Amino acid sequence: MNQWWIAIIAIIVAPIIGGFLAGIDRKITARLQGRYGPPIVQPFYDFFKLLGKSRIATSRMQFVWIYGYLVFMITCVVFLVLKLDLLLLIFLLGFAGISFVLGGFSSKSPYSHFGANRELMQILSYEPVLLLMALGVYAQNGSFMISEIMKPGAAPLLPSLWPIFIAVLLVLTIKLRKSPFDLSTSHHGHQELVKGIMTEFSGPYYALINLTEWYEIVLVLGIVALFWANPLWVGIIIALAAFVLELIIDNIAARMTVGWMVKFTWAVGLVLCVLNIAYLYLIKGGA
Amino acid sequence: MDLNWMMAVAILLPLIAGILVFIIRQYHIRGLIVILTAIALIINSIFLMLHGPDTYTPTSHYWGLAITILDYAMLLFYIYAGLSLKNWLVLIFALTQIIPLAYWEFGMGASKALEEIKPAFVFDHLSIVMVLVISIVGSLITIFALRYMYDHEHHKEIEKSRQSRFLFWLVMFLGAMNGLVMANNLLWLYFFWEVTTLCCFELIAHDLTKEAINNAARALWMNSIGGTAMILAMIYLFAKGGGTAELLTLESIIKAGGNQAMLLLPVALMCFTGFIKAAQFPFQTWLLGAMVAPTPVSALLHSSTMVKAGVYLVLRLAPAFAGSYLGIMVAICGAFTFFAASILAIAQTTGKRVLAYSTIANLGLIIACAGINSPLAIAAAILLIIFHAISKCLMFLCAGTIEHLVWSREIEDMEGLAEKFPVTTFITAIGILSMFLPPFGMLLGKWLALESVFAVPLAAILFVIASAATMVFWAKWLGRLLQVLPRLGRKFESLSLSYSVPLWLLVLGIFVVGIGVAPVYQRFVSFAVNNVVAATEAFAAGWNIVVPSASVAAGGTGALIGSFPVWPLYIVFGVAIVLPLIFVTIKPGELRPVYLCGEQVGGVDTDEWITTADQKAKLQLGGFYWQGATGEGAVNPWFYTVSIALLIILFAVVVGVSL
Amino acid sequence: MGIINTSRIKSPWIMHFDNSSCNGCDIEVLACLTPLYDVERFGIVNMGNPKHADVLVVTGPVNRRTARVLKNLYAQIPDPKMVIAVGTCACSGGVFHNCYNILGGVDKVIPVDVYVPGCAAKPEAIIDGVVLALQKLSKALGVAK
Repeated sequence: MNQWWIAIIAIIVAPIIGGFLAGIDRKITARLQGRYGPPIVQPFYDFFKLLGKSRIATSRMQFVWIYGYLVFMITCVVFLVLKLDLLLLIFLLGFAGISFVLGGFSSKSPYSHFGANRELMQILSYEPVLLLMALGVYAQNGSFMISEIMKPGAAPLLPSLWPIFIAVLLVLTIKLRKSPFDLSTSHHGHQELVKGIMTEFSGPYYALINLTEWYEIVLVLGIVALFWANPLWVGIIIALAAFVLELIIDNIAARMTVGWMVKFTWAVGLVLCVLNIAYLYLIKGGA
Repeated sequence: MDLNWMMAVAILLPLIAGILVFIIRQYHIRGLIVILTAIALIINSIFLMLHGPDTYTPTSHYWGLAITILDYAMLLFYIYAGLSLKNWLVLIFALTQIIPLAYWEFGMGASKALEEIKPAFVFDHLSIVMVLVISIVGSLITIFALRYMYDHEHHKEIEKSRQSRFLFWLVMFLGAMNGLVMANNLLWLYFFWEVTTLCCFELIAHDLTKEAINNAARALWMNSIGGTAMILAMIYLFAKGGGTAELLTLESIIKAGGNQAMLLLPVALMCFTGFIKAAQFPFQTWLLGAMVAPTPVSALLHSSTMVKAGVYLVLRLAPAFAGSYLGIMVAICGAFTFFAASILAIAQTTGKRVLAYSTIANLGLIIACAGINSPLAIAAAILLIIFHAISKCLMFLCAGTIEHLVWSREIEDMEGLAEKFPVTTFITAIGILSMFLPPFGMLLGKWLALESVFAVPLAAILFVIASAATMVFWAKWLGRLLQVLPRLGRKFESLSLSYSVPLWLLVLGIFVVGIGVAPVYQRFVSFAVNNVVAATEAFAAGWNIVVPSASVAAGGTGALIGSFPVWPLYIVFGVAIVLPLIFVTIKPGELRPVYLCGEQVGGVDTDEWITTADQKAKLQLGGFYWQGATGEGAVNPWFYTVSIALLIILFAVVVGVSL
Repeated sequence: MGIINTSRIKSPWIMHFDNSSCNGCDIEVLACLTPLYDVERFGIVNMGNPKHADVLVVTGPVNRRTARVLKNLYAQIPDPKMVIAVGTCACSGGVFHNCYNILGGVDKVIPVDVYVPGCAAKPEAIIDGVVLALQKLSKALGVAK
């Protein structure tokens, strides 16, 4: 029963945290640009306004896939708080991403197809890094379970997995849709080809996407926090620091091309992960 | 039921039914025979499962004689085929089979010893899993083929019907496969192996176009290399056994193999044979060429027969290379194929070629699992065989159905299929999702494989890249099908029963086996795993799949390595996709045209827009294929180099250990 | 739904469409987004797509070609929506009044809620216009302001 309560609380609390983080994001971004910026609760205003807008559609299936995106993202958050299998969590995150892509493909719109194809390239960029992170965790802990990472007395992962941590920061940039990787779609003021994959989503379904992104922020920051899970507050501070770092990168970087993104994340992210895992394999002499 | 009868139905009934459909040229009677055979095969396979593992040797000596005669008949036919097609490779590799075989059987006097072998057939739980897959999935394909071939010939306006001939080879294929997975006598294994090669050759060449014949010949000579390797392995074993048939059974190789480094060479040769049949790099081209054949052939080759024979053999031999460098090399070769084929699949513009590369990739994954050879990996391999057979069969039958709806195999021609044929698109979407997403079985298998792969880190890295590429090419294809114009009230198309019954049964199979994977595993697959490697862990708990750490298996209370909550994830899938699919509705007033910078023309469901000089243009979208980066031209030289190098290293390692 | 109505006032996303303006007003519209004026303080965000927008900001007089586009874009904005005509040309056609290819102000094609005159309209005036539009919306919604 306890597990149910944890899951329900997470489902309620996560978007609130995510919404505030999005608000902080806009505020900090504004300050970095010398502006005053919107109030912290601005994302919630946007969310409720969008919920209240009339629904317009270009196809029925695009809505179905958006529910898929939301529900699978929530499932990922539940997996995280219930400390289940990390590898499976990453696969579920993959389904969430694919649902979004398919939503973009569901209408005959050139912009949303552009965005969907770019989102696929983003998945191709970050998915191997995340999977290798799970393997790195296994190399360190001998288990894919998040409960093993958070077990009292378990050593923090960061000292031995720091190259993977750097690679995960790259993933964070892609997942938070920050420059230089805000290719498939982007946030607030920015546009990329009329907002890419989001082009055909509007009103309440745009709100659902916002909601999903709030879950996503919490999820990816939670994954970052796992690198120092004992005590967890250190991990949370690391995650928040990583978040602020992403905002700074967002504001100092230009948007790059898709091909560059794949090459860069593979050349830097994958290589870091591979070296890290190879090192662990060698010092541990196999699993 | 009597074991005699069960064996007869499994192996001989398809042959007899094949001859019957060959003789009877009436569409309905022929259909009835095929359907009855299919039902008989399915029921028989269930009886075999209930019967449990056993051994069987035919009482009459004439069977051995018949097989020897048929062996030479087939090889002579290959020589004839090589000469008549003027294909020297076919001829050369037919000769490299027939000469050593004849020398060995008659020159070295092996034929006498071979006839003594007992038991000739051994079927354990692994064989039973294979027989079930072959009989159930394969039979559904033969039913699908009935109508498909009728439409096929109708569309091509072929005067003289060759459907009988086609069905003859198709149905007989199932019997050969059933024999293959149960054979224990190596010569008989070789015989069934060659029969599948022959069926494959005939079926690929069926349309008799120049391309079909060339590709069939390629399949023939490549698989003949495998046959040659198997003959060499047999001769080596015969010599090692001191001129007796002692080592010439699968059972004895498996028993002796783990302890005798000397046996690594024949095992490696037989794995090599399996690699070719499973179309591993660098031998993938024969399976790609096989795509010219009518789609039921591809479905059969890819899901339940032919290529599965390759992975079956490697899996069967897994105990013989346990803990050796050969195992690691097999794992790396398989993982490399998984990686290379997945990357290449991104650039494919033809639906069937995407499917072909995906098959090659998954076979690589299964072979890699066999190479890793831990209980977890073997469990992953067997589950993958089952799920892959169901999902890939569904995908090919969908591809066939689509082909007969739009008369094209190109993905670009399937654009907006959801608009015209919603039912087919729905089934195809299920098929595609079941190939790569949780909670479906294929992903479960991949997940298990990844949880076990750390034993070979190089394979692990190839796995993760391949699995990301898998997501891209499937989603890309599905995306092309889904795009629709803002329009309501689509009509559902009606499909012929011969199409729809197998399709819906396979969809049902995906969900039933998928949701019930834990019980299926516990009652059924776990025994098959135990046939390959001694597994002490139980990977199923209730309805869920769990991976306990080794200490738990040893009776400790250590934690889990991983867990896959099966039914909760199916509930999530239901809530995420199925419920919205049922309950989300839109009203006509809510439809808006897509955003075209305000330049669209006319009503809501328009795809016309006004371009320069007030000209109207039709909106055209195309898929991305990144052929410059992942196309065959760009990456094949690298992949060939690496895969050939891997094979050389494999044999170098084996020879090094053996000497 | 109180919270939704409040949010509507707090989060107007604008989309800017240029009919056949001389670009003077367009530059002033974009100036609103700069640090000096920073309309994001009020939750105003510039969107490129009518499907995401609440407020359509139109500059320039409507000509025979852009009329169709303007209508199409207006139809693609989900309700509730507002239209602000920025600049003299957008209000009435301005100096282009009675030109052979000019239909006139934006209100010849779509209903306009707020007119912001000026050649070019000052950023302050544009912000005032948006605030006025929001007041109009809040009155229509019955939200106290």
